[in-house]
Amino acid sequence: MSVYGLCIILSLALFLIGAVGVCVRRNAIVVFMCIELMLNAVNIAFVAFSRLHGGLDGQVAVFFVMVIAAAESAVGLAIILSVFRSFISVETSDVSELKW
Amino acid sequence: MMISAIVFGSIAVAAALGVVLMRNPLYSAFSLVVNLLSVAAVYASLDAHFLAVSQVVVYAGAIMVLVLFVLMLLNLKDESEAPRGWLKITVASCGALLLFSSILPVILPAVETLHGDSVSGEGQLVEGSVLAIGRLLYSEYVPQFELSSLVLLVGVVGAVMLTRKQSSDPSPREGGLLGGGKS
Repeated sequence: MSVYGLCIILSLALFLIGAVGVCVRRNAIVVFMCIELMLNAVNIAFVAFSRLHGGLDGQVAVFFVMVIAAAESAVGLAIILSVFRSFISVETSDVSELKW
Repeated sequence: MMISAIVFGSIAVAAALGVVLMRNPLYSAFSLVVNLLSVAAVYASLDAHFLAVSQVVVYAGAIMVLVLFVLMLLNLKDESEAPRGWLKITVASCGALLLFSSILPVILPAVETLHGDSVSGEGQLVEGSVLAIGRLLYSEYVPQFELSSLVLLVGVVGAVMLTRKQSSDPSPREGGLLGGGKS
């Protein structure tokens, strides 16, 4: 198996671990970190396919994903802070005001 | 290249499992730092050196400092007294394993075929140097580049707006948890 196949396996494994974390964990900050994990998994697949095709467009895409992840982390952590300010908790099960 | 990808890839998977399994969010955050650094090493073993450096600087530097800052500001206790939802964990991990074992047999032969086809093309342009990426970024991807700067600006302004104190009276430091925080 080539290194590319290995990277695809790694990417898939990291993405699914992150998805399980998003489903299972209740702390909003840990859910946020699992989303970062999933973004990284996609980045690995981008870099592997870009190397496989011999171009650099995939690496530019990874660069933009990093930019969006930085903006997302700023906004997401601000939302978590303001949720903590009104609920005194970041457990996702405590923040269920809209549940019918 | 192969050896380092295997070594750092297995470290990355172990650290990712640590992120999900650790009960204390602080340990999860440090585990995520290990994961991000080993992913940077995987990038370096794929000859994407610029991305490896920016992964260390942006992710393991900036984003994780922000996460750890918020984590320590909130001063959370770990979930050890709360019961685990075993049903949810079982269903989620079974679904993930099912997805893994159904996607992998499809995509892996495709990748190997692509690899076999493009062996001649491989090696002509594999250098992820700053020069090559910068040329591409400033020639072909200029609109996206400018748009990403706009996204960052909107993100920063939005973060300040969201964490601003909600009350309308201008007197600062007047009670309230984390009052007066300016992100």
